[in-house]
Parts: sequence; C-alpha cells; structure tokens
Amino acid sequence: MSSNLFKTTVNEYLESLPKTVQSKLYEAPATCLSIYRLLSPMAKFYIMSMIFNEKPVNLRDLNKWCKPSSRKLEYEALKRLKALHLVEYDNKGSHIRLHSNFRKNFRDCLTGTQKPNAFGSISLTNDKHKVDIKFLDKFASQKWENILHFMVGTESTTTPSKSVLSLLQLGGLMENKNGLSITNSGFQFLLQDVNAQIWTLLLQYLNLTQDLNMDPVDVLNFIFILGSLELGKSYSVSSLSETQRSMLADLRDYGLVYQRSDTSGRFYPTRLATTLTSDSAGLKTPSMAVEQALGEEAEETAQERNIQESIIIETNFKVYAYTNSPLEIAILNLFVHLRTRFANMVCGQITRESIRNALYNGITADQIIKFLDSHAHPQMKLLAKERLDKKIEFDTSNNINTAGGAPQSKNENVISQHKLEIIPPNVLDQIKLWQLELDRIQTFEGYLFKDLANQQEYDILSNYASELGVLIWSDKVKKKFFVTKDGMSQVADFANRKLKR
Amino acid sequence: MLVASKGVLVQCDPSIKALIIQIDSQSPGIILEELDDTHLLIQQDKVEIVKNELNKLLSKNIYDPFEDDSRM
Amino acid sequence: MSIRSTEPVNYREVDDENFSDEDDDIDKDFNIGNKRKNQGNTNDNQKKRKAIEAMETLKLDLKDENLSDEDLIELTPDIPKDYIPDAVSKNFGKSDFSYLKLKPDHFSRPIWISPSDLRIILESFSPLAEQAQDFLITIAEPISRPSHIHEYRITAYSLYAAVSVGLETDDIISVLNRLSKVPVAESIVNFIKAATVSYGKVKLVLKHNRYFVESTQADILQMLLKDEVIGPLRVLENGESKNLTESAAPLNDINIPGTKKPEESKEKTETEDIFASVVGNKDEDDDLDIVHSFEISHESVEIVKRRCQEIDYPVLEEYDFRNDARNVDLEIDLKPSTQIRPYQEKSLSKMFGNGRARSGIIVLPCGAGKTLVGITAACTIRKSVIVLCTSSVSVMQWRQQFLQWCTIQPESVALFTSENKEMFATEAGLVVSTYSMVANTRNRSHDSQKVMDFLKSREWGFIILDEVHVVPANMFRRVVTTIAAHAKLGLTATLVREDDKIDDLNFLIGPKLYEANWMDLAQKGHIANVQCAEVWCPMTSEFYQEYLRESARKRMLLYIMNPTKFQACQFLIHYHEKRGDKIIVFSDNVYALQEYALKLGKPFIYGSTPQQERMKILQNFQHNDQINTIFLSKVGDTSIDLPEATCLIQISSHYGSRRQEAQRLGRILRAKRRNDEGFNAFFYSLVSKDTQEMYYSTKRQAFLVDQGYAFKVITHLSGMEQLPDLAYASPKERRELLQQVLLKNEDAAGLEVGDDIDTNFISKEKRAKLEESQASRTAGSLAGLAGGEDMAYIEYSKNKNKELKDSHHPLIKKMYYRQKNKEKKALNK
Repeated sequence: MSSNLFKTTVNEYLESLPKTVQSKLYEAPATCLSIYRLLSPMAKFYIMSMIFNEKPVNLRDLNKWCKPSSRKLEYEALKRLKALHLVEYDNKGSHIRLHSNFRKNFRDCLTGTQKPNAFGSISLTNDKHKVDIKFLDKFASQKWENILHFMVGTESTTTPSKSVLSLLQLGGLMENKNGLSITNSGFQFLLQDVNAQIWTLLLQYLNLTQDLNMDPVDVLNFIFILGSLELGKSYSVSSLSETQRSMLADLRDYGLVYQRSDTSGRFYPTRLATTLTSDSAGLKTPSMAVEQALGEEAEETAQERNIQESIIIETNFKVYAYTNSPLEIAILNLFVHLRTRFANMVCGQITRESIRNALYNGITADQIIKFLDSHAHPQMKLLAKERLDKKIEFDTSNNINTAGGAPQSKNENVISQHKLEIIPPNVLDQIKLWQLELDRIQTFEGYLFKDLANQQEYDILSNYASELGVLIWSDKVKKKFFVTKDGMSQVADFANRKLKR
Repeated sequence: MLVASKGVLVQCDPSIKALIIQIDSQSPGIILEELDDTHLLIQQDKVEIVKNELNKLLSKNIYDPFEDDSRM
Repeated sequence: MSIRSTEPVNYREVDDENFSDEDDDIDKDFNIGNKRKNQGNTNDNQKKRKAIEAMETLKLDLKDENLSDEDLIELTPDIPKDYIPDAVSKNFGKSDFSYLKLKPDHFSRPIWISPSDLRIILESFSPLAEQAQDFLITIAEPISRPSHIHEYRITAYSLYAAVSVGLETDDIISVLNRLSKVPVAESIVNFIKAATVSYGKVKLVLKHNRYFVESTQADILQMLLKDEVIGPLRVLENGESKNLTESAAPLNDINIPGTKKPEESKEKTETEDIFASVVGNKDEDDDLDIVHSFEISHESVEIVKRRCQEIDYPVLEEYDFRNDARNVDLEIDLKPSTQIRPYQEKSLSKMFGNGRARSGIIVLPCGAGKTLVGITAACTIRKSVIVLCTSSVSVMQWRQQFLQWCTIQPESVALFTSENKEMFATEAGLVVSTYSMVANTRNRSHDSQKVMDFLKSREWGFIILDEVHVVPANMFRRVVTTIAAHAKLGLTATLVREDDKIDDLNFLIGPKLYEANWMDLAQKGHIANVQCAEVWCPMTSEFYQEYLRESARKRMLLYIMNPTKFQACQFLIHYHEKRGDKIIVFSDNVYALQEYALKLGKPFIYGSTPQQERMKILQNFQHNDQINTIFLSKVGDTSIDLPEATCLIQISSHYGSRRQEAQRLGRILRAKRRNDEGFNAFFYSLVSKDTQEMYYSTKRQAFLVDQGYAFKVITHLSGMEQLPDLAYASPKERRELLQQVLLKNEDAAGLEVGDDIDTNFISKEKRAKLEESQASRTAGSLAGLAGGEDMAYIEYSKNKNKELKDSHHPLIKKMYYRQKNKEKKALNK
C-alpha cells in the first residue's frame, strides 16, 4: 500500500468535478473516448455492456456477470463509474443506466458517426516543411528533458518558458529562494513515469486556466483530443476554439505539440501527447520513463553521454555510479544513501532507510530494480554473463537443474533457473523484502458486526456483504464480520430491510 | 439488537499481532477486540500510533550498517 | 591518448640497475620526481630522454600547464573559486569532491582518494588493479573487496605497517599520485607525512637475551632517554650510562625457501615491482651508519613500545637472523615436494622483504594454508622455533604439519601440553604448545615447571602465534614477556576491524603485514566457493507471545528453540544429505544442540564430550557414508578440521560476532571437493523472524559481506511442510516443546561452559560478570550485546586429562542431569 505523492491524478481530478461540468465534458466525443480509456477493464466491460442497451440494467443482473471472487473489482468499478456520474441509479437503487450524453457520444465514436472534427481536423494540404516521427520524438524529448534538467540545475540548460516556470512553482516542484530551486516533491517527481509527470503539470495548468477565466471544459476537451490524435499527422489550427488556440504555445513549451511558428496554420501532436490517455503506451514503464527523463534516445546519445551503463551495485549494497549529471544523481538520491562525490563518480549505499524513504515517497521496489538493471555498468553485465555461462555449463554437464542449489520457493526457482542476474540477487531480494516489510500490517476502516441473533442472520448479512465485495473478514463460529466503511450504509440498509424485528 | 462497532481492522502476521497486543498493554485503549491469529479491531484514531510503535519495535531487530561507521 | 599504456613502465629495469631514484617514466610525466631530480642518477640518459619526450608529448596533447601534480596538490585544499555547487551537491555534505579535477588520462588510472575520510576507491577491473591492490594492502586497511569496486582506508596503523615493511613517506605519496584519477589532496599528503615521518626511526633489538632500543639518530635516542616514561626504564650496566655503539649489519639478499629467487623469476609481474622499485634497497644508506642503543628489561618492553607509539615513534622489531651467530642454526628446510602458493609467497615477502625478519601479523582466510606460511617462515629463519596455539588438538596438527612439509627431525620437535611435557634434546629445535600452558601462573607440576624453565631460559629465534585474535591481551602479554623471541609472527583469519584488540596486537606482535583477498582466493580455487543464505523462520505465535514476555536470556532460548527453525534445520539436513553433502550443524547453545541432535538422531560434540568419543564421531563423519551430519558446539569453530564437510547450518551463535561467523564459514573453505568444476559449498544461517536474532545475524555477516560474500535471504523453504516426519507439525507437539523450554532455567541460554580452567581464557568470575552485564544491557544498548564492542569471543576447548577427572562445572552437571531425566519427565507428563 505505498502512498502516492501525486494523488491528483487525472482520474481523481475528473471525479472531483461537479456533475454539471462532467456532463458538459461528455458532450465531446473525444473526451468520452479518453475517459473510457482511462477506466479499469471491469468498468470498461460494464460500459460496453450497457452502451447499446436502452433500458436500465438491474443491479442483480449485473451481479451475475461476475464471479463472487471478483466482487471487489465489481464494487470498485461501480464506485468509479458512479463518481464520474457515468452511471445513474434509479430511485430505488436497484437499476442503473449510462449517462445519456456519454452513451450517445461514445456510441458515435464507436460507430464512426461523430461530428467530423470531433477528433481534430487533419490538415488536408501538404506541409512544405513536413516533419517525420523521428523529428517529433526528438523535439518532444528535448523539450521535456530540458524541463527536468532545469529542475536539478544541470549546467547549460536553457531556462524554460515563463508558463513552465510558474507551473513548476504552482505544483510545489520548485520554490523561489534566491532563485528557483528544486523541492523534495520535485525530486520525487523525477522518478515518476513521464505520463504521470505530464499529467501533474497539466493538472496544474488546469488550475491556472481557471484563474485566467478559460473554460476548463474547453481545455480538458483539447487535452483529450490531443490524446486521440495520430502521431506524424498535422492538424489544422483553424478548427480549434479560441481557448484551445491560446493553449498551443504552452503545449509547445512542454513538448506536447510541434508548431513551426506561432502563426503556422498547422500543428503536430508529439508522442507525449498521443499517449496521454493510453494505458498501453510504451512510455508507461518506469525504466523507459527514466530513460525518457534522461533524454535517452538510446542509440543517438548513448555514446557521448554513456548514461545508460553507469551504475555498479555490489553484493554489500554499495553503489558506485559513473556520472556527473545532476539529474542522474538526483534520481539516485531518491533511494541511495549518497556519501561521496568525485568529478566522474558518486558513491553511496543502499540501506533499509534509503529504500524506505523511497517507498514512502511512492517509489516502488520494482521501479528501483528496473532502474538499476537498465543502467548497470558493463562490468556488471560481464560478470553476470560469466556466471550464467558457468552455471549453464555446470548444469548441463551434470544434468541437473538446481539453480544455485539452495532450496527456494518453487516458482521462484523455476524462474531464476537460467536468468541473467545483473543486480546481485541478494540485493534484489532485499529491496523487495524491504517493500514487503512496509506492508506488514494492512488496515481497513469500517464496522464490525457482532452479537447477531443466530446463524441464519449471520449468513444472510455476511453473504450479502461478501457479494457486494465489502466484506473484509468474517468468522462463522463467533458470528462476527467486518465490512468496509463504504459498504456500511448498504449493508445496514439491507439489514434493516431484512431483519425487521 | 444488531450492533456494529466502528473501528479499524488490522490484518497482520501472528507475531505482529503479538506486538500490537504488547503495545496495547503498555498504553491501553488501542485494541477494541482480538478477532483471530491474524486480525484485530483497533481504535480508529490509534492507527498511526500503532504503526509508529511497530516500526520502532521492529527496527530494533534490524542492524544498521552505519552504526559502526559513525565511530570512524 | 593514454601515455601510460603506450609507454609501459619497467620497474624491473629500475631495480636491476640498482637505481635507487624513483625517476621513472611516470614520475616524469607528472613531474612527481621533480624534487629529486637534482640528486637523481643521471647515468641512464636514454631513459631520461624518453621520459622527457613523454612529458612533452603529453603537454602537446593536452595543452594543459597545470598538469604537474605538485600544482594540483596546491590547488586542491580549497574549493576553486570558479566552482559552483549544483542542485545535488548538498546531498553529499562535505564529501562533494567534484571540484577535484580529473587527470586527463584518469580512465587508465585505477583509484580515487577521498580527502575527508582517507578512503581509497579502487576499480578492480582496471588493468592496473592488481599492482594497485598489492600496494594498497600494504599502506591501507581493506574495508570491502567485493566483485568490482574495492575500498581501502588509510589509517595511522596501516601507515605504520607500510613503513615497517620498508616503504617511505615519499614513496607512498608518489605511488598514490600515480595511481589516482584525481590529485592527492594536501590533507592526505599531510596526514601521511605526519603519520610516517617518525616511523621506523627506533628499533627494538634482542641481543644475548637482552633487549636494546636502537636508533641511527643519536638525538632521537637522547629524546627517548629524556622521556618521563622511558628514561627511568633504562637498564644501566655497572651503573654506567654508556650507550652501546656499533655498526649495523650489512644487508644481503635473502632467499625464502620454496620461493623463486628474484633473478630466476623474470616473468614476475609488475605487481611486486610497483613498489619494489620504490621500496628497493632503501636500507643501503643505513648500512654504514652508526647505531646507538640502550638496554631495557624484559618487563618494560611493552611499556616502552606503548610509550613510543604514544609519542609517535613506534618501534620496529626486526631480526637479522643470518648474522646471528650466537644462536645455533636449526636443521630445517622445506621438502622439495612442498609447494607454496603465490599469495603465501607474497605474504612472506612482506615479512622478509629487506633480508631481516619483521614481526607482524599475516591474515589469511581459514583453509588458505596459514600453517604452511608459518612453517616456511621457520624454514627461512632456521633458528629455534616455538609455536603457540589455542588447543591441544591444534598442537597435534601443527606438529604433524611440520613433519609433513619440512625436513625437521622428529627428535627436534617437542610438545608442551597437559599430556606431553617434552623438551628437545638437540641444540636447536621446535616446541609446540598452547597459550594457556605458557601463560599459566598458577601452581605447576614439577614436569611442567621444568619445561617452563627451559622455555624461559632460551633465546628463541622465532615464535609463531596461531589464531592471535582469540587470545586476550593479558594472556598475550604474559606469553610475550615470558618467551624471549627475536621475531614474532601472528596468524589469523579474521582481524576484525572494529576490534579494540588490534591496538594491543600492534604493540605486542607488530603491524599487519598482509591480508589476503577472500574472493580472489576463491576464484583461483585455493578456497571453496560458498553459497551463503539466511533462512527466515517465523516464530510460531505461542513462542512469540512468550518471547515478548520473557527476560533477555530466556528470549534467546525461545528463538533458538523456535519449532519453525527446527523444521527448517530438519528439512535442510534432509535436502543436503540427499544431494550427497556432508553437513555440520553449529549451535553455540548446548541445550539446543542436544535437543536438536537427539530429536534428529544425529551425533553431537560439545565441550564435555570425551576425547575418545569425539575422535570416533569425527572419524565416522569422515569415512562412514551413513553418518553425514554432525552437530558441533563452538568447540568446532576453530580447532576441528573436516575437509569432508560441504554444508554448514548455523542454528545458534554468539550474538553479533563477525569473527565467529567467518571462522565457521572457514570450516568449509578447505572442502576437499572445492576444485570440482562448479562445486559450491553451502552456509545457512537459520534466524527466527522478528526477534533479536535478525539484528545479530546481519551484524555477524558484515565482515563476510565486505569480503564479497552475498547472503541470500530465503523466506520460505518450499516443500518443507510436505517433509515426511516433520517435527513439531502438530500444535500439541509445539505446545509441549514450549512448556519444556519455559521450564528451563535461564542458565540454559548461557554460553557453553567448559570445565577445563586450563584452556579457558577468561576466569569464571569474569565470565559470569560478562554474561550478567550482557543480560542487563539488553534493555538499553543493543550494540552492547552485539559482540563487536564487547569482549573477545570466548573459545572454550577441552582438555582430555582434566575431563577424565570428574571436575565438571556445576552447570554442566546440571545439564547432564536434566538430559538424563528428560525422558522420565516426558513420561510423567
């Protein structure tokens, strides 16, 4: 249950909007599509089930669509849909149906019968200065990387635009103390994946637009349209609203869109924009995110900067990183207890404390491991390969498959059989164990039902709670069970109905 | 009469449960009810106290490599 | 661009020509040698030209006038004006040295030196790493030596050791400069200068069984005589205060038997040469110097040594054995078949580097052949030798090894133990004994007194002190003052860094001369590869509830007897026996040892096991394929040598003792099968989760972890629950075990107590106090309990003779009694 610093994800932002604003949002087909894409698979399933159904659906029928073991998923999905007002309950609370605007517009998206420029209008004329995807990728990563480098004060970075600077301060990522400097939240921001980073800034942007009397619906719609555009195509500026046109300059600063000049009649969305609402985007994984953050573009810059392969981590948890990049050092500092720095190398140690700090800040063990793995020094890889070769040779010549010999958990053993172990396995395990250590107690707010009159009462109520997915614990013998805070009212209502005595 | 008492359900290892019981015995009023080997019901406003105390107790069993370094 | 690689330095050449100046190419490149240039030997014009050329090329290439190290040194102490700390600088506090400019060819140099804590960081994958390691181990303490990056730290002691093997201040600084990627900061230079400038100026020499303090500089001697502590200790001859003055012995080449003469080993790597050239024949200048000296008594030797260290004039002890005509030579040589390994040779070269024998300590992992190093040293000195070890078992092993490896005649070998009170009849000879036999001050038997008189009356050429780390300082003191020996060699596997005793050893024996790299030896097949694992055993809830309730000592008993731990032990034994391993299970706690062993039907040995039974068990373990597992108490930590063992399981141990952990690991390092392709030995530490044991376990591993060993955590042994006949599988059995443990007296949690006072190094009263203090400290300081800072880890071994007399310690009797009554009790329940 690691806490997430950036609670203000786009989902939570959307949920927090008043119903009237949400209804307005659902008028735009692109927004409907984007919001759909941001949902969990279970919620998506419900939407698809109801989209062509004119009549409200009985909740009981809905229950039958999923296995009792997945009640929790069901419960959560419905909670999300309700918060977004995508579903409406009837008066009795026994039937639900989709929000009518949403249903209509989303259906149009699916059938392709939406308004012609709902997803932006592609420039029909040929661009004399046409740019390709590679150019766009480079443009985007340069822009974004420049912001990150600026945050940690890398020398020779150009200062980002005023709008970016104010967003950084507004979001608490930098503060003005005799000049701008990065805050603790700012450092944690660095290890987020790019998608989360962009949303963090965009949400700050939304707050800002409200102050500027820009219509948030208009702004959000444009952001969602961007997420539905096609990479490599150019779109015409003229089809945008006033507000949206004024956004272009800012989005250019973040690297979300490319426009040759202020007055150009066309703009290109970059990969940063087109992947905004997709959950399968290549940018999602932390390692890629960090690589992006470091402006990797692997083949092109690896040689000059060699940032890819710089970290040595030893079996005694000491870390040596060949780097002088403040950005990389700042990222290391998130989970390494740094001690000494030389012009071309920093050294430190991974400790329980340093890892716990990272975990508290919402960084996961997997993120750390992936980062170490992808940035491992060639010597680490060399040694790992030597060891693996030896092991394979030994195992084949002895016709055995005791990887390492020590009896381990079965599945673990099978997986680690002949795997290249770049990070020392003991370090890798320990980082994971430290994460597990934080989860040693799980807490749930809620209510304990007890002193039930008889077994039957217990069965009825606990089964009902279980079906709702709000039952956390139960004991048949003691006739006690525990339901979550959220489930309480429903269970209580049910109890009052059923157990009139 | 149906009773539902408000609280926080804690799910943990038996050893952690034993530790929470110990914490409760030193500053009573934390545990509302012991449910089974791995579950406890505790006061809602005591969750942070329990977490902090647990952390303290468990950290005692963990060796910090810098303990020695500080001497040099 | 690297000049370094295109112009390899030939130190050999420098040496061959008896060229004492260090003006080699590299120095020229960076002008280190500048200050010595004028006095430099100019007969090697070609060399000089080459060096100048190299320097010119470098300058042209780099167009950097600031390349001179001397300039850089001046640059470093202050942070340059143009240096602006960046956003991440503050994370390093005062340890951000990014302002230290890298040398242009930094990538071909292997080390960084941190100015704040004198830490040296070495790239072990650098082509120069081997040479660098050899140098660093001489001048600095190794901190960690895992796979890729090693760390060392320069300390006053390490520099003392460096000086004592013949390095000089300027040599140390110039080689460091050569190896370093960054300029050596002035703070470091100053530290080295301050720590070394007065080292090696005063020597302690044993002549005619009398001790003399010697120096070539009369003023230093005068200063010592005026010292308030040392002055009064001077022994006046016939009331006169005349200083002895004589010329020092000339220096010759020395040949360590079993090693190649320098001339023969043309293929010798640069490794040794990197500082051979700078160490060179430094003593030459001194050869003709006049030596001044005064005499001190045996008793005041240690006081003088300590005082000298305090006033920064630590004494050097060297033995010019080849010119010692007074003591008869011992007929001893290595047998032609005896082979010495390279690291053994290296360690000996540190001892005999300048043709004399230096006193000091050699640190080699268990199983790496410490004994042979001692024997070879004895064959080099060829004078009467005395060997002191920790137990009578070791005494037998040393004797046997001497006869196996070298030509010494059995009649020249005498044993002095409680069973054997021998003296050699020949003029020179070898005595093997134990510390306790020699240090004993209580009533001795007539025979024993006779041997002691014999030992005391003689002047010994050489004394070998085995397992120096286990012997408490006061016993050491007695030994060292009782036996007059010219050269002293301490041998150990683990000189644990935080040990305060290192100070004492420095006075009493001498500096650490050599410390081997464990991983390196393992890689080269000299010691076995070991897979280490820490197995987490969750406490059952009943045990854990009691654990939280009980006193500190009882807690220990509960976490050792944790049923889950027992099951893990049972499972691992089953698993490894099936693989064909021979297993040793270690338990410090004797109660647990017996419970585990009896329940699993395995033989066990502890302090009170009679010698005969011990031998029977050990022999069966070695040769009987039905006996594949034995249980050992801490008597097995050091003295028992079992090359058959391939798997260790540790169920209880001595708090946070790093040394014990290393010693136990040492039991499998000489595994017979170590050279089988892909062979791994196994070392398991079973730890009860959420208990103090976790803390100790990590602490215990620290030393091995820094040697590069990795402890894998195993949280779950798959298949354990399915093991047929798994012990304590039912709650009833577990409850019964808990009852049994709770009924135990607290004493059962204590350390193993032997009944043999003779071989116990600490008096009972003192031990009781220690245990008490440990128990009471538990509440307060964890560190106090953790071993590192507390007393010496106590080794109790057994003496056969006394054992037969029924002088059992009351506690042991009690335990015996209980053991016998256990079944009865069980029946009564």
